[in-house]
Formats: sequence, structure tokens, C-alpha cells
Amino acid sequence: MSESTWEIVIGLEVHVQLRTRTKVFASVPWGFGEEPNEQVDPVVLGLPGTLPVVNRAAVEQAILFGLVVDATIPERCAWDRKNYFYPDNPKNYQLTQKDFPVTLGGQVEIELPGPSRNVMGEHKSIRLHHAHLEEDVGKLSHSGSGSLVDYNRAGVPLLEIVTEPDLRSATEAAAFLNALVTMLTQAGVADCDMEKGQLRCDANVSVRRLGDTQLGTRTETKNLNSISGVRDCIQYEAARQIRELEEGRKITQETRGWNAVNARGYVLRDKEDAHDYRYFPDPDIPTLKISRATVERLQKLVPERPFHRQRRYMEKLGLPYTSASVLIADKALADWFEAAVMAYPKNPSGIANWVVNDLLRDLSVVTTAVDSFSETTPIKVSLADCRIKPAQLAGLVKITDEGVISKQQAKEVFAEMFRTGQEAGDIVNAKGLRQNSDAGELEKIIQEVIADPAVAKSIAEYRAGNEKAINALKGPIMKRTQGKANPAMIDQLLRKHLG
Amino acid sequence: MDKSQFLVWLMTNPDMSDALHLLSATEIAQRLQAGTLTSRALVDALLARYHALNKKVGAFTYLAEPDVIAQAEASDLRRKQGKALGPLDGIPVAIKDNIAVKGQPLTCSSKMLAKLISPYDAHVIEALRAAGAIIYGRLNMDEFAMGSSTENSALQKTYNPWDLARIPGGSSGGSAAALAAGLVPLALGSDTGGSIRQPASHCGVVGLKPTYGLISRYGLVAFASSLDQIGPMARSIDDCELLLNALATPDARDMTCFDKEQRTSLPPVAVNQLRIGIPRGILDKGVGQEVAAATRAAIDFYRSQGATIVEVDLPSSDLAVPTYYVVATAEASSNLARYDGVRYGHRSAQATTPVEMMTLSRSEGFGPEVKRRILLGTFVLSAGYADAYYVRALRARSKILSEHLAALEKVDVILTPTVPTPAFKAGEKISDPLQLYLEDIFTIPANLAGLPALSVPCGKSQHLPVGFHLVGAPLSEKKLFAASRVFEAAHSYRHQQAPL
Amino acid sequence: MAKGFDIDHLAKLARLQLSAEEKTLYSNQLNQVLTYFETLARADLPPVADVAQVVEESALREDIPSQPLGSEAVTKIAPAARDGQISVPRVVDDES
Repeated sequence: MSESTWEIVIGLEVHVQLRTRTKVFASVPWGFGEEPNEQVDPVVLGLPGTLPVVNRAAVEQAILFGLVVDATIPERCAWDRKNYFYPDNPKNYQLTQKDFPVTLGGQVEIELPGPSRNVMGEHKSIRLHHAHLEEDVGKLSHSGSGSLVDYNRAGVPLLEIVTEPDLRSATEAAAFLNALVTMLTQAGVADCDMEKGQLRCDANVSVRRLGDTQLGTRTETKNLNSISGVRDCIQYEAARQIRELEEGRKITQETRGWNAVNARGYVLRDKEDAHDYRYFPDPDIPTLKISRATVERLQKLVPERPFHRQRRYMEKLGLPYTSASVLIADKALADWFEAAVMAYPKNPSGIANWVVNDLLRDLSVVTTAVDSFSETTPIKVSLADCRIKPAQLAGLVKITDEGVISKQQAKEVFAEMFRTGQEAGDIVNAKGLRQNSDAGELEKIIQEVIADPAVAKSIAEYRAGNEKAINALKGPIMKRTQGKANPAMIDQLLRKHLG
Repeated sequence: MDKSQFLVWLMTNPDMSDALHLLSATEIAQRLQAGTLTSRALVDALLARYHALNKKVGAFTYLAEPDVIAQAEASDLRRKQGKALGPLDGIPVAIKDNIAVKGQPLTCSSKMLAKLISPYDAHVIEALRAAGAIIYGRLNMDEFAMGSSTENSALQKTYNPWDLARIPGGSSGGSAAALAAGLVPLALGSDTGGSIRQPASHCGVVGLKPTYGLISRYGLVAFASSLDQIGPMARSIDDCELLLNALATPDARDMTCFDKEQRTSLPPVAVNQLRIGIPRGILDKGVGQEVAAATRAAIDFYRSQGATIVEVDLPSSDLAVPTYYVVATAEASSNLARYDGVRYGHRSAQATTPVEMMTLSRSEGFGPEVKRRILLGTFVLSAGYADAYYVRALRARSKILSEHLAALEKVDVILTPTVPTPAFKAGEKISDPLQLYLEDIFTIPANLAGLPALSVPCGKSQHLPVGFHLVGAPLSEKKLFAASRVFEAAHSYRHQQAPL
Repeated sequence: MAKGFDIDHLAKLARLQLSAEEKTLYSNQLNQVLTYFETLARADLPPVADVAQVVEESALREDIPSQPLGSEAVTKIAPAARDGQISVPRVVDDES
């Protein structure tokens, strides 16, 4: 197989459950983990005589998504019926938007992996074809000779986001999904929790010889429910197609499934068996006019796009790539960081260090990863509960920069702040942690320590040219000053005394 | 008996309790208000009549007597306490079996839903309850409202009270027959292509198909959603309007239902100001002689009252029936997909796989006309044919609408017969769907265009009632009522009783 | 206008099982109806249909939860149920 002579062309259809309280066409609540059929009403069940009524929140979340990805919001959108029989589909038609979706076009900026963890990879823009608002179906579980149907999920609002065939590798597809999840969650449009099935993906894959302008025959693999699944499936399917073509066979347009357990794809149905969905405009839901006032109002809620923020942090605030990347992955964290910078604008990098290393580490102790989809540390909840406020961290960085306390002391102060939420200054005063810069007192202590026979060996080594041996003396000095001594001053005075 | 004879009869009959079933809702309301009648007494009289006649007429498929009596007593109590809810308080309204009433069957006269008990109330039922009306029994219909004779009911036959050998019309045949037989003063029907007006015409009662969007469809089992409307049926224009007023309230559960601001109705027009449009050549095409004569007489009457009669052109009228059957069956094929034996309704005992279960449940649960229409609707939407049929039908519908709106700029109402011929004999047309589809030739355009349309008794063809049909601009119900009230007042048709 | 539909295909799409007699009967009747529909094919029609009904955002429903039916009511009307769920014959992957 010579993959280097082939180009892989991928388009994704991503189904995202929107963050609403009630279902898209019925006013019952929905959520994960309820007892079966407890989130069902006559409308969800498709009882005779019931009618759909579109949820304002679902429409607005969809529009907000459109604005986040710079899509066009058409003045009108409409719903169609997609007719097919399946036990999880209560009306045996799904309400979806075929001809007049809620958003058109748009793009998502993605970042490919760099040559190393610390180096930024290439950025690319992936065009979206459209996004449309539809309803989820129920869930089937199988036991023995029968299946059981739970309609709790039926009618949950789904936004189907359809890309142009712009993706060229499994890695790009994964990067796209990561970027999309970041944008969706940061805008509050969706939670994208893959464990809960809040994001599912269909992958359209075709291959062609490099340089060909015509697209090859594509297959569609349905219902991928993790980023790694998408990645593995695309790699598998592209390799399969290349092998087929290289061995002189043709690709048939077919719908496929993916078995994540053995990492293999399989044919669900070929084109002959393709469904005839008999789409037609839903007569129960009139065409909906979207006012420009609504679009303008929602425009104000669009958060800064993650990679825009990344560029700003690196170019304007001078942050290293790694810190910037960690921050932009979590909007709440980045906002927190910016609030701290606002309070003390002199050292953004210093603040970023505290946030990315110390704050995240301490927060992650109390949180566990619930979000297997997005490859970032989920800290939103605990950050809101975090006792340290941005201005307080700014205060800590400021007094450290001013030399009031040492970096060593700052760590201790931070730990106390994290535990109690007290101001850095108060902790410093209460603990008497003020850094000791009194040369006279320090000189006395140094002389005492040097006189101690226990360190004679280290002194000898230092004098013999072993620079590192001096460090052995610093510990006892620091201990005697109860950590208050300015390390730079200890170093300077030690060298003077040891000659 | 003509009108004067009837009045003499009324005055010489001191004991009215014998004739409670003849009273109009308006008259009942007056007596209840005056304290000369109780709802309980009225209901008792109607229940007695139900026991005497329902077997013969076959109008009702279900009636919960204790519930009806309890509602009547509750109404009487309210009235006694001075808390009557309005003119309908204490008056029974019978319900077509495709409108959901909580705790009652919702069969649509189909084997498919024979055992379904509705867990919720339709909007119109909530509205009637709020008005104090008594929700009174369920009425037979063509299965899923598909038909023009009520012969497609899987539950029972309904007979035309004027001639028990004939059909009452359909699909709201039970509603029309119950009114004509004096079993109830008011009834709800539903109309997709004429299902209120055609049986009203065949049974000599009044039936209105309101402007699309005037009455919420929440709780009306869908046949063809873009055409269906619930409507009032009664024995007089006043009663029909009284009932309409209770039903036509906004409802956020139906997105196609007008909100408060969209309900401004067109004012009525005095008869000497009335402009009546007659579609050119309308009485030449397949209209029975006596139907044509009755229609001409009605036109002459209006002319004699000073109305202006003009001919109007509706060039796309020929397209109405095919357009209707494409749109209606397409929507029906999708609306009826939910009846698959999974969640409710009939489930075949034979099946071993879900596909088999759905297929057999549907095949066992649906009658022939429903299957025929589902197949037709599936075809007109299917890949390769949708453009030729469904999409073209939508374009034709658009044209029919604009032609009607243009005509209704020039005239207040368009007058035609309601049905080309009077009620036919049972079994006569059941094997010829196309012939049956042509029953609706005059009523269908109002559904396609979403316009209000009223059928009013206007004469006889031999012993069988015949109605004329008025169509108006959107929200012109008051105009239709005012225009027909003049006719009704000058004629005795509303006081005629079916010879039971 | 396109005619000559495949009654077996239609029945499958519509989830109906038809006997041989029914197939013949419905085929003949539908052909008759479709012949009648040919007026539609010949008609001079506007190029596109007007949008039937348009609503403003005021017709949208606020995102406020209402009371669900409860699984008991759901299973009560279901032909077969177990553990709060509706039971059906075993579903094989994408058997549709």
C-alpha cells in the first residue's frame, strides 16, 4: 500500500445535543440518568393528535452556534419530515431541516499537532456547509429475544453540523472535533459529553490519487461516539478504500457501521437498500422568521474564538504557546486568568504560570475527568468554587515580583490562599513570612552555619571548585531563618564569606 | 311542516319536555338561564332518546352516561350558585371520535386504535369544559376521517336519519346524523376536504369549516395536517356560531393556530350589500337536477333580497381534486406512520421481528381506504415521483389559493352546492374510490386555500336534504353566518325533522 | 407523468403487507386515480409554491419544563412493557 500517493477526503456530520432544559418540540425536561420513559409526554410519544412546538432556546442556541462559526443566519428556517420506520422513532418520521437550515456556511479554525508538545502546529480553516436543528430518537436496549424502548432521549434537541469535505486526515478530523467541542462548550451551546452520548459523528470518507480533482466514491460510517473512534474509523476506512482501489476493485457507495471493540468497520446497507426518506415540509411547523434583532442580541453573547485568544495571549501578552494553549481550552479558566491580568498587568506570564501549573494542579485534585471527549482538564465547576479570586492571585504575583516574599514563600502562601481564600498580604503578615533582607542578621547566621563542623566537607569541596557544593549550606541557613531569607542574598553573602 | 306551521305547533304544545331534543342550543341556553330547564332534565331527555334511537342511526360509538349526568349536575349546581360559565354551560356537545378527550376512547373508528384511551384533552375539549359545556359521547366517522360516507368506520355503520338506507355522508357522518336525529344539539366535526360540510348537507344540518388556523388542532388526530380543521356542527346558524365562539381561542400548542393578534374577523355585510360570486358554469358539471334547482332558488332568493350576484372565474378548479388527493394522502402517509403497534394501539400477535410486527400490525389495524390512501401518499412522495406529483400539487395549491383570494376581492362569498348529488345508498360507491373522491369537488378548494366555508340546508332532492355552500375570505366567518342567517330566517329547513 | 408504480416497493415503504388480491385491487384503483391526476401534469403552474405559513419568533415555546406523563402512563397504553420500558421483538442493528 502506498498511502503517500493517495489523498484522503473527509466530511463530518456532527450531532450535538443542545443545552436546553426542555426537548426541542415538547415541553418535558430531559437529562441524563433518569429512569426509563420518565421524560416523556404525549408529544414525545407521538400520541395521536399531538403537535410539535419549537423550543425558543433550541433555536437560539443553534443561531448562537452559527454566529460563533461566522455562519450566515438566513431570515427563514423550516422543518421537514424524514420518513422511516424504526422502533426508537416515535412518529416514524424525524423532524429535521432539509432545505432551510438555521445556519448556512461558516468555518472552524483547527490546530494540528506541532512537532513537539511545546511547539505550535499548523492552523487550518475547515468550512461548514450548514447546521440544522432536529430531534433525537429514543434508545433501544436488547435482552434475549426482545428489545426494550426508552423514549427519554426522543425529542432531545440535536444540532447537526455538516462540514464541507475539507478534512484530509484522521488527525485533522480529530483536531476539528476538538476545536468544535471547545467552541460549542465555550459558547454554552452544548456540553458535548461523549460518555453521555451528547456528541455523535458520521464520517464521510473517500480517497483519490494525489492531484485528482474529482472526488472519489464515498462511504458514510454512522454513529461514531468518541474522538478516538472517529480517528480509528477514518484510518481504517481510508486504508480499506486504498487497498480496494490498488487491487483493482471499485468503492461502492454504502452506509457503514463501526465496531469500536475490534476496531473494524462493516457494511450496514448499500446504495440499493438506501432509504427513501420521502422528505416533505412539515405541515405542523410553519416556516420560522428569524428577526435581525434576535441575531444582534445573540451576537453579543459570542465569546472570543479560542484561537483568536491564543494569538492574543502569545502576541500581546507574551505567553508561551503551552500556557496559552492550556488557557484557551477552558473559557472559564482563561477568563479567570484575564481578570487576574487586569488586576496586575505587569506580569501576564507570571500569572499564567501560577494558573496553568499551581492552580490547575490543585483544582484537579478535587475534580475527576468527566469529559472524555475534549482533551482538556475539566475544571469549570471547581473553578467557580475556587477560594482564590483572580485579584488575589494577582496580589501574590505582585508581592513576589516586588521581592516582598521569595518564590519559595509564595508557594506556601498560595497553598494557604487556596485553602482559605485569604489575601496574600494577610497570610504573609499573619505568618511573619516577610522575606528577610537584613544583611547584618543574615551574616551572623551564615557565620554560625559555616562554623558548624557538619558542613566542613561541603565547604572544602566548594573551595576545591565544586560550585554545587555551596547548595548544601543553603538549607541549614534557610532553616534557621525559618525560610524568610532572600535566597539571592544568601547566595551572595555565602560566596563572600567562603571567599 | 313549514315555518308557520311549526310555530303554531310550538305554541299549541304546552309540555315542551317531550320536545327537548328539538330545541336549539340557543333556546336551551335561554331556558337554562331563565331557570325553566335544568341541564340534568335536558340530559335525561337526550339519554332517553339515545337509548331509543342510537341503534337505528348508529351515530354514537361511545357514551359514558354517569359522566354525562355528573357533568350536567355540576352545571346545574354552578348555575344555582350564580356561577354559570357562559351560554354553553350545561349544554351537551357530542365529539367526533378523532378529537381527544381524557379518559375516553380515541378510536378514529379504526381497529388500530380500538382500545386506546386518551391520556389528554384536546384544546377544543379544554375550551368546551371552560365554557361549561357537557362533553357528550363520541361520534362515528370514516376511519381516520378518510371517506365521504362513514362506511369506512371499522366500528359500526351510521345511517342517514332522513333515509336509513342511505349514507349520512362523511367523514363526520356520526356528527351530522346525531344532530339530524335530535340526539344532541351541538357536535364537533373535523374537515379535511369536506368532512363537516358534506355530511351536514346530506343530513340537513349546518356545518362550518373555519379558516385554517382559527381553531387549535391540538388533540385532533391528524389526517392531513395542512388541511384539517375542527369545526362546529349544529341545527341552526346561531348554534353553529355559538359553538364556534367557544372553540376559536388561541393555543400555543398548535403553531399553525392564530394568536390573539391574528384573530381580527371580517365584519358581516347586510344582505343588500352582499356580493355573491357564482363560479362560471358551476351547475353544468355533474350536478344533480334537484341540487341545481335548490341552488338556483337560493341564488334567486339572495337576488330578491338585494344581493349582487356576479359570476366569478376560478380557472384552476379542475385541479382541486387531484391536488387535494396528492397533498392529503402525502401528509396522511406520514401522519399515520406512527401507528405501528409499538407504543399504543393494535399490535399483531404474529410477529417475531420489529419489521414484521409493524407491518402486520398496520395491515391488520387499517381498513382498505386507509391503506389505499397510505399507498397513494407514499407513492407521490417517493424518490423519482415527488417532483411530478407532490411538488406540482403544492404549486397547484398555490395557484388555487391565489385565484380564490383574487375572486374574494370582488365578492364577499362564493356560492355553490355543497355536494353535487344528495346522499347515496349505502354500498353504492364504496368500490369506486374515484367516484367517491368527486363528492368533495365543491368543498375541497376551501381546504386547499385555508378559507372558511359553511354548508346551509337549502332544499330537498326528493326526500333528501341538500345544502348550499358559502366560501369567504380568511376570517370572514361572521360574513358567512350573517349571509346564511337571512336565508335560514326566510325558510323552514331548520325546523324540519328527519322522519325517524 | 410518471406512472406504473411498484406496488411491492410501496407496500414495503409503507409497512403494509398486501395479499395478491389486494395488490391487484389497489394497483388498479391507484392507476385509475393517477390517470385522473394527469390534469395536474398538464396544468400551467407557478414555478414555485408560495410558503404556506410563516410565523414570527413569538410563536416559539419558552424553555420551561412541564410535567411528564410518567412511565406508568406510558406503559399502561403500550401493547407490551417491562420495567418501565416498551418491549418489542428483538431489534437487529439497522434492521429498517
